Amino acid sequence: MQALDKALAQVGRVVLGKPEQLKLALACMLAGGHLLIEDLPGMGKTTLAHALARVFRLDYRRVQFTSDMLPADILGVSVFDPDSGAFNLREGPVFSQLLLADEINRATPKTQGALLEAMEERQVTLDGLTRPLPEPFFVVATQNPVTQAGTFVLPESQLDRFLMRISLGYPAPEVEMELLAGGDPRDTVRGLKPVIEPSGLIKLVAHVGKVRATRDLLDYVQRLLEATRADDRLVAGLSPRAGLGLLRAARAWALIHDRDYVLPEDVQAVWPSVAEHRLQPREGGSVAAMTQSLLQTVPVVRG
Amino acid sequence: MARIYQVPSHARLWLTLAIIAASLPQFQDGPWWQALLLLVVLGWRALLDHQRLAQPGRLVRLGLLLATVGATFYSYGRLHGPEAGSALITSLFALKYLELVGKRDAYVLIVLGYFVCATILLFHRGPLAALYVLGCLTLLTASLAGINYSDTHARRRQHLTVAAAMLLQALPLALVLFVLVPRVAPLWNMQLDSGQARTGMSDSMSPGQVSRLTESSELAFRVQFDGSPPPPEQRYWRGLTYSYFDGGTWRQARPPGWGDTDTLYNGRGPQPPWYRDLRAAARGPAWEYRVIMEPSQQRWLYALAVPFTNLDGQGLARDLRLVADNPVSGSYSYRVRSVPAAAEGVTLNGPERRLMLDLPARGNQRARDLAASWRQRYPDDDDLVRVALRYFREQPFHYTLEPPRLAGDTVDGFLFNTRRGFCEHYASGFTFLMRAAGIPARVVAGYQGGERNGDYLQIRQYDAHAWSEVWLNGRWQRVDPTAAVAPERIELGLRGLVEQRADSGGDAVTGALGRLPVLFRLRQWMDYVDFNWQKWVLGYRQEDQRALIERLLGAFTPTRVALALVGAVLLVCAALAVVILARRRDDPARPLEREFGRLRRGLARRGLDVSACHSAAALEAAVGRRWPGSAARAGHWRRYFEYLAYRRDGDPPRAELHQLGRRRRALLSGLNAGADRA
Repeated sequence: MQALDKALAQVGRVVLGKPEQLKLALACMLAGGHLLIEDLPGMGKTTLAHALARVFRLDYRRVQFTSDMLPADILGVSVFDPDSGAFNLREGPVFSQLLLADEINRATPKTQGALLEAMEERQVTLDGLTRPLPEPFFVVATQNPVTQAGTFVLPESQLDRFLMRISLGYPAPEVEMELLAGGDPRDTVRGLKPVIEPSGLIKLVAHVGKVRATRDLLDYVQRLLEATRADDRLVAGLSPRAGLGLLRAARAWALIHDRDYVLPEDVQAVWPSVAEHRLQPREGGSVAAMTQSLLQTVPVVRG
Repeated sequence: MARIYQVPSHARLWLTLAIIAASLPQFQDGPWWQALLLLVVLGWRALLDHQRLAQPGRLVRLGLLLATVGATFYSYGRLHGPEAGSALITSLFALKYLELVGKRDAYVLIVLGYFVCATILLFHRGPLAALYVLGCLTLLTASLAGINYSDTHARRRQHLTVAAAMLLQALPLALVLFVLVPRVAPLWNMQLDSGQARTGMSDSMSPGQVSRLTESSELAFRVQFDGSPPPPEQRYWRGLTYSYFDGGTWRQARPPGWGDTDTLYNGRGPQPPWYRDLRAAARGPAWEYRVIMEPSQQRWLYALAVPFTNLDGQGLARDLRLVADNPVSGSYSYRVRSVPAAAEGVTLNGPERRLMLDLPARGNQRARDLAASWRQRYPDDDDLVRVALRYFREQPFHYTLEPPRLAGDTVDGFLFNTRRGFCEHYASGFTFLMRAAGIPARVVAGYQGGERNGDYLQIRQYDAHAWSEVWLNGRWQRVDPTAAVAPERIELGLRGLVEQRADSGGDAVTGALGRLPVLFRLRQWMDYVDFNWQKWVLGYRQEDQRALIERLLGAFTPTRVALALVGAVLLVCAALAVVILARRRDDPARPLEREFGRLRRGLARRGLDVSACHSAAALEAAVGRRWPGSAARAGHWRRYFEYLAYRRDGDPPRAELHQLGRRRRALLSGLNAGADRA
């Protein structure tokens, strides 16, 4: 799809040398899911989120999570208005179209929980009043690797709310040279031109649901899910919700590649970013290697 | 009103074909109106299906039924009996198609069809007929499968494969039942009077009346020798003797006042003296063989002189030939031990001698004069026979299959005027001369020669022959005047002779056939199949079954047979179940998965192992890396596979699967070609 290619090209201008990750991030948005970026500080997470917001002309807010943060700092508070004698809601940063939750693992579980509930329900209930969040609504959360000190590990149930987890990683040497030679990325982000309007994005998200997935493909997806459950290196297998998410992500991936049907490659492409953060190894070892090995053992075509 | 379950239209094709196929053999021998009836029914049916005509009303149906029954009676003179009965049922089978409305009618029609198929086997028993009936059964079963499929699964070819698979599974069961179910002797003897009449021997011979011998290559009988067969010039298969000549026709005869027991012994009652003498003289070398007769509707059996059998169903006649108790109406076989030396045991008593010398009071005077002149000069019988043979050899006699017709004194006409004829003319003339000279003589009819095919001889109608026997030195001696005129007739056989003549521009009867070696070999092969069919299938009789079961089970008792039958049936069913279940497990349910597996296995055979976990695109890439020249074809396959597997729901139609299979084969064979070049 031309518009999507253009959007990718725009974002690629600021996040250099990471086309796969950009596509995954885009697929995650198109699939209507929330994105978790796990990286060390300074790898361009914020730049990516900001760039995505620019090309879709989304209302963008950024919240730096800290350990002293309260749920109200995200959701908003009711403030008494002495003039009218009533409580008015002061909307928190969650009332935006693209929320960048920076270093989400620095906040207490309570605060994390408030955000994650809002992400799932796409609405916020304050003082008994339920208010819908804007549409579209995306959360891009960033997280420092759990080995870093002073962080609260996101519980699995919360991680499941993120459709994908990606990490950008260090740039390749020649890309880094280019990065160093270029100007301030923040200026470049400001110079990005919107490619798709929010209404267009909503339409695209709706369109993802219509991408065809045949029985042969569903069969493959199901066998992949089944394989995670049968694997005794893992604590638990993928949930049905994860399965639905995987299929949705694969559909979005297919749409980015200008197809109205899903191929097994689409599933394989989104598989690590959808599965890895949801799975826990029983006794150490790399989850990435395990999920990758599942791809090597589950036949694409039965028989 | 009861609900009528419609016959799905896709089931109609097989049903129609089954009706045509099951009816066709009937038309071969049946009256012409049967074919017409079927055509009318099929036409009506077609119009009815396109709603151009209504279903026939009750009156019309009654009329058709009466007309059919009437026509059958008119053609056959009766409604019962195998011919009339099967003709009637075949016609009613066709008529029933006109009545077809719902599934119930279709079931009736199909069951009737199975019965019609069984009637085919009443008249045709060869291996080809069996194959044909198997084909009819497949069609009928396919239509049965078809009417049980709902419309959504309307794949006609699938019905046929289902039917073929069912029949294949039934075959081992049929074999078990064929071998083990007790074979009771037929409760009634069916006399099949049509379609079996053969040209061949007759009980009289009138040389001169026949102006052209019709040569038929139809099989007369086959012989399987225990050792090697005798050389061609000794293969004189005696069938019957003609002892009485009325001036124009030679006939079978026995001395006046003699009864059956004087001339024939079939094992019943005490052995007559002449039979005892023959047995006593039966010493020395012998030929042992089995003769398998084709149906001839006659009682004459054929054997080399002097034939002894176990007298089970046939007897030995005093003129040294075998006679069956009943006309040979089906395939019939008998074992013979021929002892030439036994001819010494034959005596010629007074009444017989008179019969063998008997000639009409008048006629054929020139022949009588010739014989008398020889007699005067050569008192010794041996010399006289030699002189007569020399006469045939030296005078301008000519062997031909198309002799001129003779009138009046046929012997004189042949011996002195036309001098052109075939074996009957020579045998008749020679025997006449012998009798006129006072030497007892008779004409023997039978077959001479035979073609070797594998380990047996085939004797065909064109091997029919007639020769003479004269009483010399106290025994009957064979003299073949034809051999004196045309020795090659005896050495090469008629076919060889005719071929030779055809080469030199003579009459061509079977020459063209003989000059196509492929055709000849094919015919020989067909005959070989037919021979084994006769021997193992049609010839499997009660005694064979008994012997087989005794060999397998030790004894032939009802309990053992029943146990063996049940055991064998269970065994076959279990084996079938294992095969079917194993195939089901191995076989992925979906055709596309099979196709993917085939390509992977094909690549593996060519040295490229592609993991099952690779997608079609990864597979294409792997092929492209290994064989860059085939990348395009791999892409071809991959695109089509993805199209079928991931762009559309549901199993792809067969044609598209074939298309995918073609692309796979193109890809794989392309790899081969590339390897060859490299």
